[in-house]
Amino acid sequence: MLLFTLKRFALAALILVVAVTIMFLMIRAVPGDPVSIMLGPRATPELKARLIAEMALDQSIPKQLMLYFGGLLRGDLGVDVFSGREVTTIVFEQLPHTLKLIFSAITWSAILGIALGCYAAAHPNTWIDRAAATISVSFIAAPAFVVALLSLLVFAVHLQWFPAIGVGEGFWGTAWHLVLPSLAIGLSWVGYIARLVRASMLEVMGESHIRTARAFGLSERRIIGAYALRIAILPVVTVIGVGMGFLLSSAVFTEIVFARPGLGKLVIDSITTRNYPIVMGAVLVSTGLFVISTALADLINALLDPRARTNT
Amino acid sequence: MTDAVAHTPKSKSELAIIITGVARDPLGLIGLVIVGAIVFSAVFAAWIVPYDPIAMNIPDRMQGPSGAHWLGTDQLGRDTFSRVIMGGQVALKVALPAIFGAMAIGLTLGMIAGYGPKWLDNFLMLLFDTIRSFPTVMFALAVVALIGPSLQTVVFVVMATSIPTYGRVARTQTLTLRNSEFILAERAMGASITRILGVHMLPNIIGVLAVLAAMDIPTVIALEAGLSFLGLGVKPPTPSWGALLKDGYALIRQTPWLVVGGGLPIVIATLGFTFLGESLRDVVDPKLRKNR
Amino acid sequence: MTEKLLEIDNLSVDYETARGDLKALRNITFDVNKREIVGIVGESGCGKSTLISAILRLIAPNTRFRNGEVRFKGEDLLTASERKIRDLRGDDISIVFQDPMQTHNPVISIGQQMVDIQHRSKASKAEKLATAAKMLGAVGIPDPEARLRQFPHEFSGGMRQRIAIAMALMSEPDLLIADEPTTALDATLEVQIIERLKDLQNDFGCAILFISHHLGVIAELCDRVVVMYAGAVVESGTVREIFHHPKHPYTRRLIECDPGHIKERARVLPTIPGEVPDLANLPTGCIFRDRCDQAFERCAEVPPLTRLSEGQNAACWLNHMEEPA
Repeated sequence: MLLFTLKRFALAALILVVAVTIMFLMIRAVPGDPVSIMLGPRATPELKARLIAEMALDQSIPKQLMLYFGGLLRGDLGVDVFSGREVTTIVFEQLPHTLKLIFSAITWSAILGIALGCYAAAHPNTWIDRAAATISVSFIAAPAFVVALLSLLVFAVHLQWFPAIGVGEGFWGTAWHLVLPSLAIGLSWVGYIARLVRASMLEVMGESHIRTARAFGLSERRIIGAYALRIAILPVVTVIGVGMGFLLSSAVFTEIVFARPGLGKLVIDSITTRNYPIVMGAVLVSTGLFVISTALADLINALLDPRARTNT
Repeated sequence: MTDAVAHTPKSKSELAIIITGVARDPLGLIGLVIVGAIVFSAVFAAWIVPYDPIAMNIPDRMQGPSGAHWLGTDQLGRDTFSRVIMGGQVALKVALPAIFGAMAIGLTLGMIAGYGPKWLDNFLMLLFDTIRSFPTVMFALAVVALIGPSLQTVVFVVMATSIPTYGRVARTQTLTLRNSEFILAERAMGASITRILGVHMLPNIIGVLAVLAAMDIPTVIALEAGLSFLGLGVKPPTPSWGALLKDGYALIRQTPWLVVGGGLPIVIATLGFTFLGESLRDVVDPKLRKNR
Repeated sequence: MTEKLLEIDNLSVDYETARGDLKALRNITFDVNKREIVGIVGESGCGKSTLISAILRLIAPNTRFRNGEVRFKGEDLLTASERKIRDLRGDDISIVFQDPMQTHNPVISIGQQMVDIQHRSKASKAEKLATAAKMLGAVGIPDPEARLRQFPHEFSGGMRQRIAIAMALMSEPDLLIADEPTTALDATLEVQIIERLKDLQNDFGCAILFISHHLGVIAELCDRVVVMYAGAVVESGTVREIFHHPKHPYTRRLIECDPGHIKERARVLPTIPGEVPDLANLPTGCIFRDRCDQAFERCAEVPPLTRLSEGQNAACWLNHMEEPA
């Protein structure tokens, strides 16, 4: 298990290294002067000079890369020349907002999705099951930001049941402001997870070892809860880990639609004001988040499924 | 990913069998109808639109739905319904080249990875995995930040982020086929690499990729719409469903019909393509089915 | 005095399918006495699996009980409550299944699974684990305490089957049903497992219902034998009588075709010509008629399972030749 963990994190680190390299080279691949591209017309000669100094843009590319990696290891993502503040600070100020949104979305959708999936698997091919399947597909298909906009229109603007903008104060205020946004993001996930759990459960319940468990008189509740679900849940863990990428993407739109602070809003604003170092910092942080979550999912998988520990 | 080998239609009658199979499934039929309608309206958009989608008409701006304007007008007096129809054309103009491009490149790279030396395989897989580690929208935003928004940018970004998916599947299929009996027999008879890859492996792999592509179209349409919504996609005045959403959102209390006009087509289109794609998958390769 | 433990009385079971009713079991009648080892012999499709699943009601949703009773210690299991059946499972009646590779939950340790099946016991977890370790030792698993923490995929097929036997015998059941327990194992393993089973049966004193298509094992292990063909009992009796004086053509052919029985070298192994009949479209008359080399006119009528002597019953008109037609 320990070896597996080490291997998995080594792979994650490697991917991050390649990712940083790609982002770095992308800037150079665009025709024109990197500084102007990154800062746009707002930049005065002094600010440009500051950026060149910060990122050693007057030196060779390999040297720049080394410098950047060195900074990364210290947790330094560079400096925003316009405000004078560190990019790391700026990005990590906004990160918690995005994380709150993502976690609330995935929590309710996972719980509901697993419950629905189990129910559907226990009552296969009834009309409820088929209706649920169709609805699941529909939820999966509709893009999160469209759902966000439509729900904003209907529930916030028209019916005025929920606030249209902002994050709210205090626990209940925050929760209330989270309802529509996390609904928008989570809706497609409920369908996806429910379908996955249903298929997974049906497959597991048909396997011989379930028959053995019954032959020894174990209660149906224990069989479904402890024996079957334990195996059926594995693909869900992986899916959520991989889904972090989609969640981050959906969060970008949702933050804009509901005028919430977060990584998404930070990136959009930085693009509009032509402040590329912040864009790069935010994108790298979200990528890092994604890489870590997939690695974690693999680890949890290996924890729950002893057979997975032998394959890397 | 699956290692099942899909059956590619080799004759017209097989295609007919597939289409009838899809049509027999109620959701598949709905998908077929929706996709058909969208494709039709996209192709014949120029003839169908009641008004010029980019013609401004300030006196008539911000009108609600009426007999003259089925979906009202936007803040510049443009007819929403016309923009919706043209938006469909734009959506497909982005989606189809992007997907075909991604499929072609992904297929080539995947087959090289699967058939070539191990170090090349490892290198390509690392590249693919890394690209897949970027949250798609974030990556798209990073690219747009560098080269500015335009239709070409969107196509490029969509293509770049889709290549790894097709590449991986093509690689898996190639690896599986590589050791299959008929390929070994071909090699024993001295067939060249191009012949093996092009004539024998390709038809088997394309089938799987085609189904994947069909199911990918909704994602691509959503990505284009999303970028346009953020103002980072196609440039105005080009009508895009996402741009409609953007205009509608800016004046959401005054022109809510724009949000509906932009949002509903996206939902219908993604639903239609998803139903069609799923039905196609079930018909073409039952092994890919997930216990329906 | 032999006491009847399990009485299958005129049991008929169908499967409802789109093609019509599959008559999987027809008028099955035989007994298992206490401490007795009864073998069931027959090819695939003879109804062995249906029979076992019927006893403990581990049935498919389209199963229909048409007729008959399954009495365990006098009580009919077919009309018993779900609760009662669940109480019997793994307690009074245990099963060892055919495929050892799929029979255990892959993600739960062997120890935990063996603790779980002791769910009726009030003992502590530590005590249950100790009992489990003892059973593993009894079936010949070395270093049982350590192995309890391991997972099924860390054991070979033969060991997994031993574990399955250990699990089945842990509650000291009155009846152990073994569904082709050695079919998936190679010959040497088979011998070891059968020997072990004989010893355990001696120690625990349970009755065994042993299903197999391997005649050698049946002869080695069982006291009595039931021969089944396409859903019907064609012959039953003591192992001695059946193997030395088979009274049904099918039994005779089975023995003749058994590779272990063949005395002379031959290029072509003998087989029984023809195919097993379609259970949805049964032929009229004796079920074996189409493949029997001794069929005659009377076979157009279904022969009843007749008691021919103290130790033998057979369903064949050949045994009724002295009677007036």
